[in-house]
Amino acid sequence: MASISPIMRQLGCLRPLLKTPESILGRRTISTAYTPKPDAVPLPSKLPKTFMSQLPTQLRPDQAPKKLKVYPPPASARNTCKDPVSAVTQSQLSTLDPTGERKALFDYRRNPRSVKPGDILRVTFKNGDPFSGVCLSIRLRGVDTAFLLRNELTRVGVEMWVKVFSPEVQSVEIVQRSEKRKRRARLYYMRQPRHDMRSVENIVSNYLKKKSALTGQRRERR
Amino acid sequence: MSPRLPRGLAQLPLALRAPKSIPTTTACHYMPARTFGIKSVTTPKPSRFNVGPDLPILKSTPAAALERKANTLPLRSGAVAIKKGMTGIYDAQTGTRIPCTVLQLDRVEVVSHKTREKHGYYAVQVGAGWKHPSNMTKSLLGHFSAQGLSPKRHVYEFRVKDESGLPPVGQMISADWFQEGQYVDARSNTKGKGFTGVMKRHGFGGQDRSHGVSLTHRSLGSAGPGQGGGSRVYPGKKMAGNMGNEQNTVQNLKILKVDAKNGIVVVTGAVSGPKGCMVRIQDAIKKPWPEVPAAAATEKSA
Repeated sequence: MASISPIMRQLGCLRPLLKTPESILGRRTISTAYTPKPDAVPLPSKLPKTFMSQLPTQLRPDQAPKKLKVYPPPASARNTCKDPVSAVTQSQLSTLDPTGERKALFDYRRNPRSVKPGDILRVTFKNGDPFSGVCLSIRLRGVDTAFLLRNELTRVGVEMWVKVFSPEVQSVEIVQRSEKRKRRARLYYMRQPRHDMRSVENIVSNYLKKKSALTGQRRERR
Repeated sequence: MSPRLPRGLAQLPLALRAPKSIPTTTACHYMPARTFGIKSVTTPKPSRFNVGPDLPILKSTPAAALERKANTLPLRSGAVAIKKGMTGIYDAQTGTRIPCTVLQLDRVEVVSHKTREKHGYYAVQVGAGWKHPSNMTKSLLGHFSAQGLSPKRHVYEFRVKDESGLPPVGQMISADWFQEGQYVDARSNTKGKGFTGVMKRHGFGGQDRSHGVSLTHRSLGSAGPGQGGGSRVYPGKKMAGNMGNEQNTVQNLKILKVDAKNGIVVVTGAVSGPKGCMVRIQDAIKKPWPEVPAAAATEKSA
């Protein structure tokens, strides 16, 4: 065997470049060697039925897992009505407040002409017993929208929550608007003796007198 | 004294038979032949159990349990609804405000039946909502597919009195299954409160704020007697633990409003659980059963 000439031996440094990826793989340890999963050998196309029993059950063509038919869901009420609570509220309001007048009267967030905390209101009820007082707060809750009135009866402070859309409420009048815009939404500080407005009966009776003079009708007392 | 065979004769057949006969063949050989036409001379013993077609049903049998329950089982199935929230409704006559809970029915369908013959009782399995089939086990998916139904997220059972209360499988239960003015029982899980102490969970009084009490103002105190009481904590002792998220039934809720198009059912008062929880509503067992028009029932099933 002829030995490589000393000149050619210099080229031995190029030998690693000629190495194929397989030889690199071959140097890896056996635990990390990747062996691809062998492809399944297909069954003979014309396998006689008598040999079927020799196959494991999962390989038999007639034992293949059946595909379940999944049925589509019917139309959902959740899509037709996304918010049932407001749907119930709206159907209520359409009978209790068809014109939307009461809603607008207390919608202080959107309507600039609405009732605001600090206004003096007079409410008449179906049973004919009016109540007047200064509005301390307005609670906007759909059909449960309500306002709090404070007054003084027989020198005792009295407060009353009135539901705006209650069929018991016949009318709500604004007796006097507050001169300045209140800087609070809830005027609970008016319960303190220092800020208490005491009785508003005088203001209300003056208003009623003026009103009867304008309309030319005699109103009931108080 | 009994006569004895001579020693040589008695031992000879055993010694001869042992090597050549197989035990199985000998067993067959010595089997007695079947006898025909001979009956026992003793009369058959009466059964130890006091059961028979002409005897009253025993109290501890399933049949007796069903009979006892017959009066308190509703005649027809209920429905699964989602709690949507609370609001108020003004009564048209009196003008008073009635607090109410709004429930919504979402694709409620009859999934299958439980029958006396197969399961021991009559019940209607009702499914609601929709679940993506890939999120479902194949066995459950097959249960729905076999009935020709879409996969349901919520499946519940409603017990009924007899087979006349089993609507056909696949029937849609809409909101007009219930009538305005009828009473229902609402069954749902209460709001979970997590791990709570005894004061919140069982209403214990707690301990003093002062008078020498230190660091145990809300604890339960003693868990039981010592020597003489068994020196152990009795089973069922009320202690701190998980509170809420357990089933609760609110009985006799009046149905105020029914809207079949939107699947809305409005009932009086409060129903246990948070908004969005599943509520099972069925005819109230403490009120007379509602009169269901037969025409409406057949129309729905068709």
